[in-house]
Amino acid sequence: MRDGISQLKGLLPGYSPDALRVMGETVTGNTAFTEDAVLSRASVLPALPALAGLLPAGGLAKGSVLTVDRSGLLCLALMAGASAAGAWCGVAGVPDLGVAAAAGMGAEPARLMLVPDPGPGWPQVVASMLEACEVVVVRLPARPPAQARRRLEGVLRRGGGVLIAVGAWEGAWVRLRVTQRSWSGIGHGYGSLRACRAEVVAEGRGTAARPRRCWLWLPAPDGTVTLDETAGVPGVAVRAAW
Amino acid sequence: MRGPAADRPARILAVWCPDWPEEPASRDEARAFGQVVAAVEDFCPVVEVLRPGMCILGARGPARYVGGEDTLAQKIAEAVRARGFGCHTGVADGQFAACLAARAARPRHAALVVPLGGTRQFLAPYPVHALAGAGLAGPLTRLGIRTLGDFAALPARDVASRFGAEGTAAQRVARGQQARRLAVGAPRADLSATVEFDPPADAEPVVFAAKGLAEQMLAALAARGLSCVRVRVEVAGADGQESARLWRHDGLLSALAVAQRVRWQLDGWHPAPAPPAPPAAPAPPAAPEPPATAAAPSAGPGETGAPDGESPGGIASLRLVPDQLVPGEGRQLGLWGDDLVSDQVERAAVRLQAMLGHEAVTHPVLAGGRGPGERAVLVPFGDVRDARLPADRPWPARIPPPDPATVYPVPLPADVIDAVGAPVTVTGRADLSAPPDALTAGSGPWLAITAWAGPWPVTERWWDQPNATRRARFQLVTEDGTAWLAAIERGRWQIEARYD
Repeated sequence: MRDGISQLKGLLPGYSPDALRVMGETVTGNTAFTEDAVLSRASVLPALPALAGLLPAGGLAKGSVLTVDRSGLLCLALMAGASAAGAWCGVAGVPDLGVAAAAGMGAEPARLMLVPDPGPGWPQVVASMLEACEVVVVRLPARPPAQARRRLEGVLRRGGGVLIAVGAWEGAWVRLRVTQRSWSGIGHGYGSLRACRAEVVAEGRGTAARPRRCWLWLPAPDGTVTLDETAGVPGVAVRAAW
Repeated sequence: MRGPAADRPARILAVWCPDWPEEPASRDEARAFGQVVAAVEDFCPVVEVLRPGMCILGARGPARYVGGEDTLAQKIAEAVRARGFGCHTGVADGQFAACLAARAARPRHAALVVPLGGTRQFLAPYPVHALAGAGLAGPLTRLGIRTLGDFAALPARDVASRFGAEGTAAQRVARGQQARRLAVGAPRADLSATVEFDPPADAEPVVFAAKGLAEQMLAALAARGLSCVRVRVEVAGADGQESARLWRHDGLLSALAVAQRVRWQLDGWHPAPAPPAPPAAPAPPAAPEPPATAAAPSAGPGETGAPDGESPGGIASLRLVPDQLVPGEGRQLGLWGDDLVSDQVERAAVRLQAMLGHEAVTHPVLAGGRGPGERAVLVPFGDVRDARLPADRPWPARIPPPDPATVYPVPLPADVIDAVGAPVTVTGRADLSAPPDALTAGSGPWLAITAWAGPWPVTERWWDQPNATRRARFQLVTEDGTAWLAAIERGRWQIEARYD
């Protein structure tokens, strides 16, 4: 039922909060949903324009879990859009975060909270960070216990944060990964890394079930993330690759 | 204290050990400085530690005892040197001048004594940048006032009207006077703050509690319109041992600064009755006579790696006593860099710091540098610290943009081979032995190199041997599409960062 409200908001943008609340209660059968909860869950945090086409809601839906395959530039780019829009971002368990790269994509270092080594109590650390930060990036251990996952999902539902998990998270809203990449600007003994064309695939469940893929400049020569215009119409869901 | 006496600064003796860095970092450093303090305490029981590496004491009494300031300064320097640390001492009017005198003594003299009343002349040639903090140096330089002598010569009234309380205090320092007049008629009320730990706690929670306790103490002071420049930290162990030390701060002490000093004190404290450990702080009583502790400090020099500074029984109580009160004029530096931090974030950060320790929760500050690891500095949340190397300067030979997304805090060991399997090397003239062909990073698999650029030689800080680096950097792209920033230093390959 988790996506019910966010779908509702997406489908019925013109409705008043009251109407949405009533509908939310009807849809979920749960009268505990307050107006704030519905609204906070229904809205999205902004993402970088280049990534909007990959995300079903056009941004980071509050209360959701996204996964990326590794803590690379894609992960930083997901965070950067929200950070540039004024959100606080927390990063747990990524001691090798490239702060300069994140800043180059628009993230504001002054609104970053880093816990490089959260230790074995990482679910508690992430839960605490979610109380303060709209977006939290966490590098998961090999096997996150199901109990910890459920608990964090509860925190997300209540607080309306976004969790970007590096690793596998069963039942994640969107799973993003880089499938191909090619660097330009560098040759055999000359030049330097200038830009990278990367194909990003987004899969998920619910509204995100249809895989979307697009070619991005990740990063573009100026350190930002832009769509690769040469690779056809961006963000259009292609047919599943069967 | 009214009248001329209130304005006459105390004769201060500063002890400076150049071995300690300006910004104390490791706990071992703070701990090792306990030995220096113990040596100085043989001469005077009331020693104020400014930071590990620098402490001061009132020179008047001990100088009379040993027969002159020159003798005292020499003797203290010798006593510290006898323990195996480099040391210079300086005597002048006031703390600021004394610290500069200790530095001026280097390299030729062990001690430098600025005669009574000569402090203003001594300070005159120093640039205004010597005045720490206050953000005064920039405006003053733009006004054409470059030395402390020029600054001291300005009319005090004009300085006060243009620069406010901070400026007045700075000018008084430049004139060899006390920065702030001591608060006369100290309040009768007990302004100390105490917290008991039951059960006894380890160092980490104590430091954390110290922050809250210091806030409590400062709030009580602020309610009376006072602030303090010196605080006495008293720690009692569960086994009955006590440690008390005075800590002074250049400016006004903030809650965080107090907590940091508690940390230093705990790091330097060996309450355990283990025989080799020196009783670093023999709880200096407020009694004026020099204690006869000649037999007590049994530690030899260089015994810095003592096992663990934390009491086996834990710490039972912590007491903060504001010691030197000054009228609370002007604003203290904000605890946070700006108003970006909302209450919610602050609360969460404090809670996390309670769980993980103060330094485990950080926020990044962009910094300058050539290597990727130097581009950001992690500052513990709540501390206000600027990057030592500013980011907005040209950094010739820095790695060209884009910046790597993964920057290893500790470079990964790596191996790079050429087409015949021999390790790739770089000569002193930055000539490559052969084009690189394959790479293994950490314990990863061998990856074929599809593109590469380099070598980009970097020789940094060659004038500062311990921190000097001489390496050649490469960018390598491997078959899996990942790009690496590799460097070879003394024939060893390492991966500094990854572009992915």
